[in-house]
Parts: sequence; C-alpha cells; structure tokens
Amino acid sequence: MTQSKVALFVTCLVDMMRPRIGFAAIRALEAAGCDVVVPEGQTCCGQPALNSGDTDHAIALAKQTIVALEPYEAVVVPSGSCGGTIRCHYPELFEHDPEWLPRAQAVAAKTWEIMAYLDEISGWKPEGVQVDAKATYHDSCSGLRELGVKAQPRRLLKPIAGLELTPLAGEETCCGFGGTFCVKYPAISNAIVGEKADAIEATGADLLLAGDLGCLMNMAGKLNRQGSKVRAFHAIELIAGMGDGPAIGEEA
Amino acid sequence: MNAREAILGRLKDDSDIDIAAEAAALLGTPERPTVDGAHVEAEFLARLALPSVSASHDVIETIFDLPAAVARYLDAQGEARALCLPPDPRLAGCDWSGFALHQDAAPDEAAALAIARKGIAETGSLVFETSPQAPMLPNFLTLHHLVLLRVADITPWLEEAPLAGPQPRAHYWITGVSGTTDIEGTYVRGAHGPRFLHVILLRGDFPHMSEQ
Amino acid sequence: MSGAQAEAASFKDRADAALADRILKVAVERTAGTAEAKRAVAVDAFPDFQAARTRAAAIKDHVVAHLGHYLEQFEANATAAGAKVHWARTADEACAIVIALCKAAKAKSVARSKSMLGEEIGLPHALAEAGIGRVETDLAEHIIQLADERPSHIIWPAMHKTREQVSALFKAKHRTPHEEETIAAMAESARRELRTQMLGADVGISGANFLIADTGAICTVTNEGNAELSLVPPRVHIVTAGIEKIVPSMPHAVHMLRMLARSATGAALTQYTTFYTGPKRPGDRDGPEEMHIVLVDNGRTQMREDGLAEMLRCIRCGACMNHCVVFRQIGGHAYGGTYPGPMGAVLTPVLDGLKQSRDLPNACTMNGKCQEVCPVRIPLPTLLRGWREKSWREGLEPQSLRAGLSLWAWVATRPRLYRMGTSMAVRAMRLLGSKGWISKLPLAGGWTRYRDMPKPAAQTFMEQYRKENGR
Repeated sequence: MTQSKVALFVTCLVDMMRPRIGFAAIRALEAAGCDVVVPEGQTCCGQPALNSGDTDHAIALAKQTIVALEPYEAVVVPSGSCGGTIRCHYPELFEHDPEWLPRAQAVAAKTWEIMAYLDEISGWKPEGVQVDAKATYHDSCSGLRELGVKAQPRRLLKPIAGLELTPLAGEETCCGFGGTFCVKYPAISNAIVGEKADAIEATGADLLLAGDLGCLMNMAGKLNRQGSKVRAFHAIELIAGMGDGPAIGEEA
Repeated sequence: MNAREAILGRLKDDSDIDIAAEAAALLGTPERPTVDGAHVEAEFLARLALPSVSASHDVIETIFDLPAAVARYLDAQGEARALCLPPDPRLAGCDWSGFALHQDAAPDEAAALAIARKGIAETGSLVFETSPQAPMLPNFLTLHHLVLLRVADITPWLEEAPLAGPQPRAHYWITGVSGTTDIEGTYVRGAHGPRFLHVILLRGDFPHMSEQ
Repeated sequence: MSGAQAEAASFKDRADAALADRILKVAVERTAGTAEAKRAVAVDAFPDFQAARTRAAAIKDHVVAHLGHYLEQFEANATAAGAKVHWARTADEACAIVIALCKAAKAKSVARSKSMLGEEIGLPHALAEAGIGRVETDLAEHIIQLADERPSHIIWPAMHKTREQVSALFKAKHRTPHEEETIAAMAESARRELRTQMLGADVGISGANFLIADTGAICTVTNEGNAELSLVPPRVHIVTAGIEKIVPSMPHAVHMLRMLARSATGAALTQYTTFYTGPKRPGDRDGPEEMHIVLVDNGRTQMREDGLAEMLRCIRCGACMNHCVVFRQIGGHAYGGTYPGPMGAVLTPVLDGLKQSRDLPNACTMNGKCQEVCPVRIPLPTLLRGWREKSWREGLEPQSLRAGLSLWAWVATRPRLYRMGTSMAVRAMRLLGSKGWISKLPLAGGWTRYRDMPKPAAQTFMEQYRKENGR
C-alpha cells in the first residue's frame, strides 16, 4: 500500500506552548497509514496579522507558508483557526494577485484540520485506546464555522474505551479567546470565558476537550484560576493514545 | 444639483439586464411553512389558538346569525351590547335590536366589528383594506376586535393576501392581539391595540353576492 | 451611566461600566437570551431555512445592484398614489425636511412610532431644537423618552431597564400611574397615558421596514398598535426611510417578512403588518390628508462604493446582536452609537467615522455566529476585518500593536531566527511559572489579570522533532 505523504503544519501556538499536540498528530496520522513530513520553512500562518488588519505582514507570512507547504499532497493542521486561515483566507488575501492566487488556492484545497482529515480522508478510527474519564467537548468557532468540524472529533472519540462524552451546554458558543481580542479587551473576554467555565463545571466532566490550543489555553487558564479540577487536552492527544500524559498546565 | 440628482447620480447602473425578469426569477418557489391545503380551515383555527395569536373564534351559518354571535361574545366578556359597526352594506340585513350601534370609535371603544377580506392559514392572519365602507381606526382603538370572515376566504399562503392592481390607502394584516415584550422581555397583551381578538367564521355567503 | 456620560466616555469605559452592571446582564439575558431560544425553535420548524436565507440575500443584492432604478420606480408609484417623495443626502438634510413639513402643518406635537432611522438621523434632537413636542408612542421608546436615554437594542430599545426602574419612571411621570407592581399594570398605565396624546397629534412620523417599488407602498412591522394609532388620525403622515429599504414587489416583501420576525423574536409575523399607499382616498373615513416620504442616503451610497454593499442587505432583525457573545456581556449602550452589536460595529464607522469608532470592529472574537444567524447572509466578520484593514492603513491602531506585529512578522519570516527566538522565549516563560502555570505575565497582563497561562514545555516542538529525527 502506498502511503499518503502529508505535511504537518504544526502552528506557532502548538510549537511553542504544547508540542505534545504535534506529536499526537504525527502518531495518529502514522497509525492511519500516512507518511508524515514536517516542512522546515514553517513558522506562523499569519493569522494575528490578518485579524489585526495588517495585510502586508499577513501576505508575507502567507507566501512563506504557501512555499513551505505546496510541495506536498496534503497538509494537516491541529487547529481549526490556522486551518481556516489557510483554507478560507489565503485565497482572499491573493484575490487580485494572478501569480499567487492559484498557488494559494492549491494549498487551500489540500489543507485539512487534523480530525477532519483522519475521519473523512483516512477513514480511520483509533483502536485499543482507553481513557476512563468523563469528557466534554467545546466546538471551536473557526473549525466549526469555517471548516465544518463538528461530527468528526466526536466520531474519533467514540471508539475510546471508558470515555464518556457528556454534552456541553452552549458547546458552539465562543469561549472569548478570539486571538488578540483576549488581550485587547481582557475584561470582556474574561466575562465570556467566565460563563464558559461555569458551563464546563456544570457538566461534571473530568476532562475538557477541543480542537484549538488557543481556546483550550483560554478556558483551562480560567478554570485553573477558579480552582477547578477539570483537566484540558487537545482532542487529538486522546485520540492518538496520549491521554495518559500531563494535561494543559500540568507540565512541570 | 439637488439631493435627488446627487443620490441617483451615485447609483448609475450600466447593466443591460431585464431587471424585472431577474427580480421575478429570484422568487421561484419560495420556501415557506407547511400548510395542509386540504384542511385550510383547521390550519387557520390552529394558528388562531397559538398563544402568540390568542384569538378566540365562533362559527355561524348565515350572516343573519351574526348579531347573536356578537351578543354571545360580549355577554361572555361582561361587556355591554354596544358595538362600533362599519358602514358595510353586507351587514345591512342583520337585525341589531338590543344593540347600541355607532360608526365612530371612541378612544376607549369597547367593541368594534370589521369584515376581513381574507384569512391566511399559514399564520392565522386576517387581511383588511381601507375603503369608504371600511375605516381603519376603530380596529385599533377598540378593546375587543370582532372580525367576520367567510370560511371560503381562508387561503393557505401570505402570497394570497395582497390585492392585485391599484392599491387602497391601507392594506394590513392582523396576526393576533396587540402585545409587547418591551419590559424585561415579558409578554403582555393589549399594549395600545386590541387586547382581545374574536373571529366569527361565516360558513355561508354574504348576502347579495351576485350584486357585487 | 447617563446619556451625557455615555457620550464622553471611551468604548472601554462604557464596556467596563456595563460589565459591572449586574442588572444589565439580567436584562440582556431576558431579552436577547429569550430571543435566541425562540428563534432556534422557529428556524427548526421552517422547511429549508438555509435556502430561504440564500434567496433573501439574493433579493437584497439585486435591489442594491439596481437601487437607482427601484428608487425611481418607487417614487413614481408613491407619487401617483398621492404621496410626496423627498430626498435627503445627509442626516441634517433629512431632519430639515421633516421640521419644515411639521412647521408647514403648524404642528404643535408629533406622534412618533419607533424608527431606528429616525434615531440615526437625530430626529428627536432636531424636533426638540425646533420646539416641536414629541410623543414617543412605542412602549420602549416612551420609556427611554421619559428616562432621557438612547435606545440600547434595535428591537427592544429599553431592554436595559428592569421593571423596577420602569415602575419608578411611570410613577414619577404618568398622570394616572399603575397601582399593582405588575408589568401588565405598567403597560396599562402607558396605554392610558399615551392614548389622548397619540390621537391629538398634528403629525405622525414613522419609519418603514420596507418600501415596495412596484406599488409605492411603505410597510411597517409592529406589535403594539401604536403605529396605526399614531399614523392614521393625524392630518399629515411623514415617513423617513433609508434608501436600502426597497424591495421590488409584494411577493418579494412576503419572503422578507417571513424572515424578519422569525429572526428577531421567533414569531411567524408580528401582530401588525401594514402597507400604506399614499394619503387617504376620497370617501375614506380616516387617514391622513398628506403623506410625505423622505428617502435618506446618509452614507448608504457611500457604502456601495466602499465595499460595504452586503451590509445594505440588512433588514434590522437584531439576530446578530442577540447571538453575539460580546453584545451579551456589554449590552447596547456600550457601543456608543445608534446601532449596537455586529451590525452596529459595521455601520457605526460609516456614520460616525472610523477614528472615533475603531474599537467596535476590533472588539470582536471573529467567531462567525452573527453571520450564521443573519437572515440575509451578511458576511459580518469579513466586513469587520475590512474595517480593521482600513484602520491599520490609516494608522489608527495603537503603536504598541503595530510594533509587536512588525517584530513578530519580521522574526517569523526568518525561520532560522524564529527557531532561536521561540526556543529562548519558552525558556524565559518557564521561569515565570511554578508547577504548570504562570499567573503573572509581563507584556500580557490582559491575559493574566483574569486567568492563568500554562507553562510551555522545556523545548519547542521543532526543537524536539529535530532532535528525534537527527537534524
């Protein structure tokens, strides 16, 4: 069987703040029969610049990212927001650029959020994974609304033995991270994440899962400040059989 | 350059298309709620009964049963048999003995009758137009709004509400009793318009239909 | 805060005040929260709501693309029905026309039914300046008139007020106020208070939810009955409407009407959907002798030219703000303009200038829920991002942000340097934390004021990956 060669775009947040997510992504992709490459030229997709209206820097970072990723058959990203930036916003950035538009469109067409890729393209399910815990899932906004990531994480989590998924009231309600929003308008962000934290606590879950590290850091950071015992993971970590590791904020 | 010229000047449209045809094509078969076309009366009554509409109803066989139906309603509400009646010739044949009738509505009018041209099953709406025989103000001043509607005039869809051709001064759809949620989002009825809506369905025809 | 305080303060100050207001939060949940739940039920029950949204968007785009044609058609038909059509480029021109009409009618008092456009052009203030008495007949508008405040929501202007606050207002200002402390009794008091004022006005002023091009009719969508009672008795009916309110015909209006109340409150229709075509006809027993329609531009033609044409689809349902996590925390007054929430964040820079209102497009998480619920599929996050781009180009964004992003981009476009920089940064960050968390982060005080930051691992992903793969 010829292996699919996929490029992992690890994202700046995962690279800096929680490498485990990147390794979990590789593990799951390899279990699904993929040959994973980590292109050297990647740094940041440019989302902070894009969302701040700094189009010039967004374009510079987009070009670098396109160059790094375009040689590969498929690109997989453990983040709905970075995946959304590449898939949805790169073509918009180069709308009037006849040289870069087709290149952006080509990369966009083959870029996938990690759980969407494993579920829809690989048709893969985790086997022999056990996590005895009650978990609740937050649907990160970009993944949900820009990439249609909704059923795939749940389908991938279902085969995990011992894992009980309990619904989160307002699971599609924004957690208040919003990239630079949470530091530009911290009081409003805090009010939003405070309600989200209450909803998470109300589920009685042991674990909080989601597909975006930014959202997870925001929610976990609030939960910890409130003295909550809820532990947060990126869903791919459990799916890849790494749910027995340290949760967010537990790395000594 | 006046304001009209200035505004229209910024809206110049060089396209060559048939605007009316494009507008018509955009309508197609519009998406709309399900209404069982075989049972429009039942559908209409079901909408009338919804809490958001809150209309009561009664059924009469002929127009001559109308005064009795009105009396029934007013007596049950503890209201006097006094009624604001429009100068509609279709009501001329009714026997209003025992009623104090008047044509002009007072600001605190208790009861006014109107004849709806159509009832829309999709929403439980009543359709009216102004005319010399159909003033508008009593229908909004009154506390109890009594509406006569022929069963045959109940139709499924809102598309059937408007009149074709030249328009009267006012064409209006009444969908339930006046209400508001302006204070704390709490619903109260009878904000400024009628607090009570009572639909009297007429199974038969209006008198002198062939003369209309 | 009072109207004057609200004008002076910055967005952040207003937002902070709103966040500290527990009563406001309760009020917002009771209105916007309820609307969210009711809309969901209505949308679920509607067959193929998504296709209906696409159709509604296409209808409005078609109108905006041919707006000049439709305005001329509307003007011709309205005039043929006996109405007088006036045109106003700006808010001031529109107010001047209305005042002149009121003076010509020797109006001592005007009855107003709710109109956000009237608010937008500053009509209440203009009437006051001209010494013309103004009776707000919509219950919420009446409440805020008594309180001397501005509306805080486009559907529920007084949503920020509790029943206790309303009760106190009515007891102070009504001639025969309520005795029972119930909302029904308060509504009764308002009904009594406003009845004779409505019926005694010389002029009735309304907005229009829709302008029907092929008949020249204006359409009002209301639920209280105050509009009809304010617009039918007076001798003169004046309508002020944005030029984008046009729809081609009645069947088009029907489709838009199906979307409007469902999106706003979850109802199939409001109680009163009324179409007025010209003044009273010979033989009519009631109705105004004169009808005037003031078509208002006030930035709308500019929006078409500036890439904001999609915003002109808006039918003023309020769904976007009801579902906005930011609006749900800060309410409407914090936005500081006529229109709050996502649609307000797009419109306010048009009406008040970007410099003054740059916070509004920025105070958004870009979560996209607003776009998801908009009945006419306005790409609100895209339009907000457009304002951010304009703000950046015009140098309105804070210097610290510009410097930070420039530095980030400079390093990030140099992968080797980036690897070194990120390796150093994670080591530095780790020094700030104990166990797994950092509770105080210089340069990101906004984060750590309210929540903890997880400590990064000892090495970046790229460092670890390279080591494991022998690079």
